[in-house]
Amino acid sequence: MLWNQSGVSGNAVCRWLTFMVLALLPCVQSARISAQPVTHGELPPAAKRLVDFKKDIEPIFSTHCVGCHGADKQRSGFRLDDRASAMKGGENHAPAIHPNHSSESPLIRFVAGLVPDMKMPQKGEALNPEQIGLLRAWIDQGAQWPQDAKVAKRLHWSLRPVARPDVPRIANPTRKGIQPIDAFVLTQLRKNRLDFGDPASRGAFIRRIYLVMHGLPPTPEEVRLFVNDPNPDAVSELVDRVLASNRYGERWARHWLDVVRFAESNGFETNHERSNAYHYRDYVIQSLNEDKPYDRFVQEQIVGDYLGVDSGTGFLVAGAVDIVKSPDINLTLMQRQDELADIVNTTGTAFLGLTLGCARCHDHKFDPISQKDFYAVQAVFAGVNFADRPLRRKLNAAEKNELVQLEKSRASQSVDLATLKQKAVATQLSSVSKKSLRPQVNSRLNEEEFLSMEATAVRFTILATTGAEPCIDELEIFDSNGSNVALASVGTKPSASGTLPGYAIHQLEHLNDGLTGNSKSWISSTSGKGWVQLDFPAPRTIRRIVWSRDRSGQLTDRVVLDYRITAQSKSGKWMEIATSQDRESSGKPDPKAFLKHLSEQEAKSAEELLGQLQKLEARFSELSNGTSAWLGTFSQPKLTHRLYRGDPLQEREVVAPGAVEVLGSLGLREDEPEQQRRLKLAEWIVNPRHPLTARVMVNRIWHYIFGTGIVDTPSDFGANGGVPSNEALLDWLADEFVRSGWSIKHLQKLILVSKTFAQSSSPRRDGMAIDAEARLLWRFPPRRLEAEAIRDCILASSGALDLRMGGPGFSLQIKENDNVDRYFPKENFSTNDFRRMIYLTRIRQQQDSVFGAFDCPSGNQVVPKRTRSNTPLQALNLFNSNFVLEQSSLLSARLLQTAGTQPKSQVSQAFHLIYGREPDRFEHKASIAMIRDHGLDAFCRALFNTSEFIFVF
Amino acid sequence: MSERIHPFLNRRAFLSHSATALSGMALAQLLARDRVLAADVRTDIPIRPHIDPANPNALRPPHFKPRAKQVLMIFSAGGCSHLDTFDYKPELIKRHGQPMPGGDKLVTFQGAQGLLTQSPWAFQPYGKCGKMVSDLVPRLGDLADEMCFIHSLTGKTNTHGPGENFMNTGFTLDGFPSIGAWTTYALGSATENLPAYVAIPDPRGVPQSAGNCWNPGFLPAAFQGTDFNAIKPLRNLARPANISAGKDRSTREFIAQLNQHHLQNYRGDTELAARISSYELAAHMQLSVPEVSDISTEPAHVLKMYGADAAGNRTQEIKAGYAKNCILARRLIEKGVRFVQLFNGAYQVGGEGTSNWDGHKVLKDQYTVHGEVLDQPTAALLSDLKQRGLLKDTLVVWCTEFGRMPTFQAGASGRDHNPAGFTAWLAGAGVKAPYSYGATDEFGYKSVDKVVTVYDFHATILQILGLDHQRLSFYHNGIERRLTDVHGEVLKDILA
Repeated sequence: MLWNQSGVSGNAVCRWLTFMVLALLPCVQSARISAQPVTHGELPPAAKRLVDFKKDIEPIFSTHCVGCHGADKQRSGFRLDDRASAMKGGENHAPAIHPNHSSESPLIRFVAGLVPDMKMPQKGEALNPEQIGLLRAWIDQGAQWPQDAKVAKRLHWSLRPVARPDVPRIANPTRKGIQPIDAFVLTQLRKNRLDFGDPASRGAFIRRIYLVMHGLPPTPEEVRLFVNDPNPDAVSELVDRVLASNRYGERWARHWLDVVRFAESNGFETNHERSNAYHYRDYVIQSLNEDKPYDRFVQEQIVGDYLGVDSGTGFLVAGAVDIVKSPDINLTLMQRQDELADIVNTTGTAFLGLTLGCARCHDHKFDPISQKDFYAVQAVFAGVNFADRPLRRKLNAAEKNELVQLEKSRASQSVDLATLKQKAVATQLSSVSKKSLRPQVNSRLNEEEFLSMEATAVRFTILATTGAEPCIDELEIFDSNGSNVALASVGTKPSASGTLPGYAIHQLEHLNDGLTGNSKSWISSTSGKGWVQLDFPAPRTIRRIVWSRDRSGQLTDRVVLDYRITAQSKSGKWMEIATSQDRESSGKPDPKAFLKHLSEQEAKSAEELLGQLQKLEARFSELSNGTSAWLGTFSQPKLTHRLYRGDPLQEREVVAPGAVEVLGSLGLREDEPEQQRRLKLAEWIVNPRHPLTARVMVNRIWHYIFGTGIVDTPSDFGANGGVPSNEALLDWLADEFVRSGWSIKHLQKLILVSKTFAQSSSPRRDGMAIDAEARLLWRFPPRRLEAEAIRDCILASSGALDLRMGGPGFSLQIKENDNVDRYFPKENFSTNDFRRMIYLTRIRQQQDSVFGAFDCPSGNQVVPKRTRSNTPLQALNLFNSNFVLEQSSLLSARLLQTAGTQPKSQVSQAFHLIYGREPDRFEHKASIAMIRDHGLDAFCRALFNTSEFIFVF
Repeated sequence: MSERIHPFLNRRAFLSHSATALSGMALAQLLARDRVLAADVRTDIPIRPHIDPANPNALRPPHFKPRAKQVLMIFSAGGCSHLDTFDYKPELIKRHGQPMPGGDKLVTFQGAQGLLTQSPWAFQPYGKCGKMVSDLVPRLGDLADEMCFIHSLTGKTNTHGPGENFMNTGFTLDGFPSIGAWTTYALGSATENLPAYVAIPDPRGVPQSAGNCWNPGFLPAAFQGTDFNAIKPLRNLARPANISAGKDRSTREFIAQLNQHHLQNYRGDTELAARISSYELAAHMQLSVPEVSDISTEPAHVLKMYGADAAGNRTQEIKAGYAKNCILARRLIEKGVRFVQLFNGAYQVGGEGTSNWDGHKVLKDQYTVHGEVLDQPTAALLSDLKQRGLLKDTLVVWCTEFGRMPTFQAGASGRDHNPAGFTAWLAGAGVKAPYSYGATDEFGYKSVDKVVTVYDFHATILQILGLDHQRLSFYHNGIERRLTDVHGEVLKDILA
């Protein structure tokens, strides 16, 4: 089905329902005719064979009964998990089992629904007649229960360990070259009286593999070579070529970015762009291209800071964050809870297919995830902050060498420059104070030391800034004991020349609230100047002042450059205690000021030196410190509490960082160091024996290749998620994946060289009747391409595609900044805009005006599976947008250039570029008429709008 | 109430239907639907409407007999003060200038509170019912007999973005489907040649939560609100300027030819068929959208009634722009568009409260403008709908993201955000009128009587449309998502 609707039943439920469905299908009806649900007043017949407790009965008790009648719960005092209790019975109706007399046993009568109000199981789906028949036979045969056999509650299929199933043997020996994958698929098909279709033509095959794996069409030349390749290994070699291309990582990274809700703005109303978030996008592309083992890929995203791969942790902070702060504590706490819930939920769904987020307010309704588990995982991430971090990277040998050289040159050039400066100072006489200057003001932290004095108030007067109204996040005044006497909490009162109106985050109270950072700062109401004053409740002996613009180091605008600090003595007299006058380059700094004191020759070489040094410093800093990127910062968090109903004001017990209890523990203390928490969680996730990690990933790969996963809810492997259409295949793939060293490309190759993938996409009557969606893969299911692939394919066909990789993205919006950022669609494009759409800077809520309508995610919620609509707005965008019209002209120019002016060869060339094939007679004739009557541009515009172009077949 | 579950959703009826029409039925589709059908006796299981890919907005039956078939939702962005419009508080007037008890300890969005402050506008009785309404919105007051006021609404957040999200999508976070998307997903639309769901942004721009207010979230893109207004046409709708009508038509025919030819090898593939029909729909829209948007065909007296002829200064120009949007809204309702969302107020341009109802600092000056813009056009819209008999089937909703404080902010002449109590009104099909439901405390600070959540508000709107808010669902990422999450009680008292 097209719509994002999926099987959502519990395992047992669905087995029954599958059964029901099959019973309804005309072609299999006769085989399943006995499978009618129990109707009132009758008991299904007992099974005719000898039953085995372990094999036949325990699974029924385990799946359907012991949840309420076992070790955890004993409803009505009844237990079915060991022999003695089961035979004894519960508070009422005991005994429940009358050996040799199934029709009189309450157990049978209850599960068959013969007793109103006592229908068992009360929760979940009823037993089917076959199961009831087995239970009856078991009782009639004496209710044998091996002495020590205990029945434990059966875990949901996805939580049980992966066991590598045997590859089914295929009866028909004529099927040559059959792959293990094919054997699993074919077995399932045959069970449903279906079979593989014919293989797709070579031309269709290469187009399919390119669209699926690269999101780009093959060039006509590539098609020609492959179609005519006599080599028996042609397919395998093609697959290798496709997987080795950088286009592969660009295509598959987009899938992963959907799963982890990556976008490059903060979202919500301010929606500020994160111009340095692209490093994570590049990291994902690169990791896929180099076939980084998936276990390593997972770990780097959770704790890349430890593993020396900083860019991986962009994962943690890829989501939306509300930066509108308020003094209202309820709001602030809830915002933080939302941030953490986003990380927890994304971690759970992306790596584990577990909807951990559902347990934020209460225990998970369907899966064995307690509310405590949610807060245990939250505690793992409690120290993650949404902020920039320097992106360190491993230097290669050449860069290391360069760094050494840079240091040498810097030293020698600095000496040269210093000599010149000395000269200048000498000639300048005494215009510069002999006293050595204090460092220049910075945004992060500035200190003022002075002789201690007794003061009643301190005033900080701002004379100049780096631009706009000055901002101070905290002004601290220390007494001789080192206590901060400026704090409001000790009674000090702030006042100011004026405060910029309208911003909750910039308030006068923030000046001395003990909290730092832009969201807790004061901004003056006047540009470039202003003053603040702190009045002590009683005279204080002060000796040191510390102040900053943004202690976190994120913001460097609005920094105070020139200032005076004065203090009022007990007598009421004001005196200066500190000033920017004795700092380096106070005021508007002019690093070249000394040149005027040098000779022309000297000044010239000094200027050169300055320029070189500046470049050198920049490069040096880039190599040694890394660039700043949106990767999150980490700090040791406070203890994490379980929150009653998810309400941050209702803290309950402390929860130690941990994992999902039913699947293991991390063994961490409540106050475990921050990084250690993430490290342990990551190790737990990628443990080769983890039942979910490999299953979830191989299913994603299947999903992106065939359009639907084996489990059609790729981020939900819980009881509410889909039922695997082929559980054995899923487990075989998961095991193979881990054995291969978690190689994504290995797994993809296995699929791409299979007969399953190579089938034609043509519909067949039998398949359409039984399984129209081709979940069982009796054909390759055709589907519409995603927004990005459509755009990329248009650009590739017109010849405009710019294949530059990585780095800052391009934008299809014009940004207006007015407190909040607003974006308006571009109407005219430059060639920079013709890069692959993965490099489009993805702004939350701001869809591209042409391709956004093609179910393109907005980056707000995780998207494990895109919906696929076909709407009139899509049609309008593709038919009328400037973008497509412009590309049509480019394609038309390309055709003229490569095919000349003959419509016949233009049509042929166009079909090869657009569809990768020759036109048939009908198409040829119609196309020639179209070009003749309406021109090449109109013809090209039409081709971009055809279904064949934007579907993969 | 005698709201019977529609026979379509009855399991036995479905199965007997399926037995005859099984060919082409997808295995997984059946699997997916099992859950819905598994137990017809249960009323708590999700209802997920079946969407025909070839016509996603095809008419679909409601869950039970609806009271209204269409919705016009008017959203005043920025947090419109209930205390200066529809929530009359004599005690606030009496205690004007005094501190609010406990007010000194309150920390609201921007910080500390000043003193209780009466509205700068006087209240007086309006309509036959004598509803006390402020002189800021006198013409809306004149229609008090048509309105069903809810005075006890409460929100969950005191910031604009999340607040607007909450009122429009039921979640404070970005990325959840809007109420219009849910409605069209459930019901489709009676009009084929127009979008099923139209969002009309204010002439000054989009609201603070921008497109999130009409986004489809995880629902298929077919249910996204199509945004255009009387001034700014739908993007990519018009035939490109340099392409003649004849060439355009021939190109379209050529596309259809190629698509049909290709379809011969893919008979039964609904997705391909859907794509072909989307081009046909697009062609219809190219004719019908400009037609419905062209308000120049309206007679002069209508333009005047709405205030679309207003001119002379910036306020009057904005009013004229909004009035034109109101006329557009009426025309869309008239054509049968399922859900029309009309915005009054845009994001913060020129400082807070300048272009929307966010009156923190200079409430009187700013609201004088906003009242002028809102009052006459909205009142004309409501009267016009009534006069044309359209209120018989249309529910009109007026709402905002939160209310404002009865106090002025410390050191300012305006009110801070207040999600603890605010007002909305409904009119038209399905609701009692005149009627007032619930109340805030004596100052209008907190809802105290019949407290209403946004979930309840949404549940009630769906109920009026014949939809069970607890069952209308869409499976996304592990959860059967609903507009009302896991909350919401229908306000039965207000239903007609």
